[in-house]
Amino acid sequence: MKFLFKLFIVLSFHFGLKAQNVDFKSSNFKTDKEGFKKAEAAIEQGNVYFDKGTKLLFEVKDVKGNFHFALKSYEIAQAFNPSNALLNFKIGACYFNNLNYDKALTFLLKAKELDPNCDPFLNYYLGRMSQLEGKLEEALSYYTKFTVEYKKATEFTKFIDQRKKECENAKKLMTSPLRVWVDNVPELNSDKDDITPTISVDGGDMLFSSKRKNEHLMDSIGEYDFEIYSSTMEKGNWSAPKKLIGDINTNVDDVVNTISYDGTMLLMHRSVNNQSDIFESKLLGANWSTPEKMNANISNPKYNDRFACYNHTGYKIYFIRDNEEAENGYQAVYSGMESKLRRDYATTTFLDVLNSKFNEGPMYITIKGDVLYLASQGHGSMGGYDIFISKFVQGQWTAPVNLGYPINSPYDDFFYSPTVNGKFAYITSNRPGGAGGYDIYKVTYWGADKTPIVSTEDFLISSVLQPVNDNAIESKVDVTRKFLTVFKGNTIDLLNSQPVGATIEITDNATGKVIETFKSNSATGKFIITLPSGKNYGIAVKAENYLFHSENFDLPDGGEDNIVSKTIQLKNVAVGNTITLTNIFFDLGKATLRMESNAELDRLVKLLNDAPKLKIEIAGHTDNTGSAAMNENLSQQRAIAVVAYLLSKGINSTRLTAKGYGSKRPIASNETEVGRQQNRRTEFKITSNS
Amino acid sequence: MKKTLLFSLLSLLVGNYFAQVETLSLKEKAFKDSIAQINEAANASAEGKEAYNRGISLFSEKKTLDAIKEFEKAIVSDPKFLAAYFNKGVAENELGMYLASASTLNKLISIDSTYNKAYFQRARAFQGLNEFDAAEKNYEKALVFDPNNVKVIYNYGVLRFMQKEYKDAIIKFSKCIQIDPTSAYYYNDRGSCYRMLGDLPKALVEYEEATKRNSNLAFVYNNIGTTKKKMKDYPGAILAFNKAISVDSKFHMAYVNRGATYFTQGKNNEAEKDFNQAIQIAPNYSPAYANLASILIAKKDFQKALENADIAISIDKYNSTAYLNRGIAKEMLRDMKGACEDWFKAKELGVELGKNYFTTNCNN
Repeated sequence: MKFLFKLFIVLSFHFGLKAQNVDFKSSNFKTDKEGFKKAEAAIEQGNVYFDKGTKLLFEVKDVKGNFHFALKSYEIAQAFNPSNALLNFKIGACYFNNLNYDKALTFLLKAKELDPNCDPFLNYYLGRMSQLEGKLEEALSYYTKFTVEYKKATEFTKFIDQRKKECENAKKLMTSPLRVWVDNVPELNSDKDDITPTISVDGGDMLFSSKRKNEHLMDSIGEYDFEIYSSTMEKGNWSAPKKLIGDINTNVDDVVNTISYDGTMLLMHRSVNNQSDIFESKLLGANWSTPEKMNANISNPKYNDRFACYNHTGYKIYFIRDNEEAENGYQAVYSGMESKLRRDYATTTFLDVLNSKFNEGPMYITIKGDVLYLASQGHGSMGGYDIFISKFVQGQWTAPVNLGYPINSPYDDFFYSPTVNGKFAYITSNRPGGAGGYDIYKVTYWGADKTPIVSTEDFLISSVLQPVNDNAIESKVDVTRKFLTVFKGNTIDLLNSQPVGATIEITDNATGKVIETFKSNSATGKFIITLPSGKNYGIAVKAENYLFHSENFDLPDGGEDNIVSKTIQLKNVAVGNTITLTNIFFDLGKATLRMESNAELDRLVKLLNDAPKLKIEIAGHTDNTGSAAMNENLSQQRAIAVVAYLLSKGINSTRLTAKGYGSKRPIASNETEVGRQQNRRTEFKITSNS
Repeated sequence: MKKTLLFSLLSLLVGNYFAQVETLSLKEKAFKDSIAQINEAANASAEGKEAYNRGISLFSEKKTLDAIKEFEKAIVSDPKFLAAYFNKGVAENELGMYLASASTLNKLISIDSTYNKAYFQRARAFQGLNEFDAAEKNYEKALVFDPNNVKVIYNYGVLRFMQKEYKDAIIKFSKCIQIDPTSAYYYNDRGSCYRMLGDLPKALVEYEEATKRNSNLAFVYNNIGTTKKKMKDYPGAILAFNKAISVDSKFHMAYVNRGATYFTQGKNNEAEKDFNQAIQIAPNYSPAYANLASILIAKKDFQKALENADIAISIDKYNSTAYLNRGIAKEMLRDMKGACEDWFKAKELGVELGKNYFTTNCNN
């Protein structure tokens, strides 16, 4: 139930919104007959202008203010009855011809909604709107529909054919757009028409015309007259436009056409009471002179003459001309002069190749004279005025070629003013996105198509990837530290400490070799030498009448504490003195003398030889390790071994005795290893010295 | 008192004693000091040698910078430590510190001009410094000492290649081949000489010889590919790049080159895939971004093209392709000033098209 109710509401709403065509019949407005009469009268008045405008339109004439006036009347009727299809169509058509396309579309669509058959030209205008929107296929179908459905369509074949061609041209041109940017120039444009941006050849100065608000009165359709403004390029932007002072601007339309190449003259046209003529002004100092109307061959009262330009020689003026009899609207003509002094411009010549069946527009000839830019509604336009290019080849202008999209668009695009280097140009267009009305646009050419590049890379040389480097370095070296230690000392008498001059031998115990032999000072007993550090040495000292002295010592490693001092106390060779032979070595637990003992024993041999009267007892001692008997026997055997060595060296046996004391005569404690080592010793005792 | 007495007694019994001298005569002190100096010198020498040995260990561990520091210590300890100079020079070369290496080896050769190995190393250093004449002299000197040293001859050949003396380089590489005909490298490099001389077919023959000697060298296939691309044999080039990639799937350069070949063939999708693959493998490989920018320009994605060219230039400020492409992207993004600056840079880097674009678009 609820669903049905909702459906009812939706359908009611839908059908309620569906607009219905309300004819202007008195029966439809019984309650407001007065209003109806006024509306009907307004329509009637509007139709007069509308029909006049339409006639002019299809005669390729200036529609003047007809559609504006028609619109004013129609709006009265529209306020009374907004639901009449035909009125909506006509209002849409007025807006279209007044170049207000947004509003045109609204009313045309409304008309179509109310009654698509309200007027055969509805399809034509809808086609125009679709064309402007770039919906080219849709536009084509509207034009076809117009042709099919309108009995008198053949009378408009010229226009329908042109519109269809425009659609085809647009399709073609839009598929290969030019390499340009077309940018609105906001600093120059107003919400009114801003047209004819003519620039100096260096592109630094510009004159243009604008319908922006000025001090004059508005005309009957609410517009100000065209005035000429100037602007200068400053740091890449155009300066704020300034209206030219002097008589160049009047209270009628003053439209600048072109500046001469040297910038000293300009051409302009003025329109007074629908009659336009061409004028020329000269630059006097900073101001432009009062414009002078060109002679009657150029500014002819029978014609409308406008949009003039100089040719490159300065002897010709190109412009467009129109009159009531002309079938194809404004046509391109030129007039030449024989003398620049007399300025005797001759009869005009029509530029047949440049002229189409529709209006031609402003022209511009390059400074070289080889290229002419022309605006035209005909030729290969893609809609409205387009800009075309023609070249001067073998004394003739070539057929105009559309300059291309997006310089041209389905809207009006005209007036082409290039810089001398051809990189920039200024045009006028009413394409969407502008400030309002016609605007000035800057065309920037990108130049030739630019191709991005790719690069390849190689390792052409193997060594980049696989370096062939000889990075073999030198080998390691042995590191040895050979430090020296200062070995100093003195030899003194043990008993009285008097210096004793003695002979000293230093033996490297590791090699058994005597490495130094020297004498201590006889007066002071001092000696000083250097020895390699970190070794064990034997020192043997002997002096006459003193017992031979020997001992071992270590010199510390390193070079920091590099001095060792030693005082050697020598014993007089007195009977009863006992001397320990510290460098006598036996095999462990045996009485076998080891080789390292030879140096010490040889010194004893020498002592005995040196002191031939000396008789000694060789005494062997042990520590208390083991049995006393064993120790006694070992010490006895070791004493005998020493005696045997001495005998082997030629010492008389009468001078020698051997005695083993075992552990009976310790000189140190047997409780410690150090003590036991000291107790294990070989001594000799002087038993006689006479 | 008791202690003194005992010490005297012990002294008498022992008969002698050692002691550190506490007071020395002036002469003794002078003598001691002179010996101390000798010891210090000996110590320093030993420490220098230890540093040198440590340097060798570090070098073998590839800690080359640390090795250089140790060799320097050795030199400070012993300014005539020739081996330390040599090793330092070699290590500096290894790190591309060519200026330092040349200086080190200059000192070594000034101390001992017969230290023949130093000339080869000094040649390497000068080559690295692009001082080709000096490098050449040192290679010549090294060859005086050892005329058949293939490493010296090869590096000399590379030097001649870099000097664009391709014919002489061919002679050097041919000598290398004579000494060691099994090496693929010498054939590759000789092929590259022919390529640079414009004899592309002969270059291909040499590259093929290289692949016969070692079929696992991706860069040789890459060279074949780029040579075939130059010969406009695009299918052949693609095959060669495929081979390079099959040998080394991470060989980013082959992807970029294959992509460039696809781009030349108008196969932009394949090209884009390859450039992206190269970027994935080697995110710091500038040409991949520069080439990708080309594809994006072709696709009219100028903003992304600009971003990729930016990356390419941030990685390699001499990437001329990136400048040219960035100029195009900037132009299309309405930054004409920037475009002109980039085309000028491309022109300066030798890109003919950059010169063309700059001249025709940027000179008012």
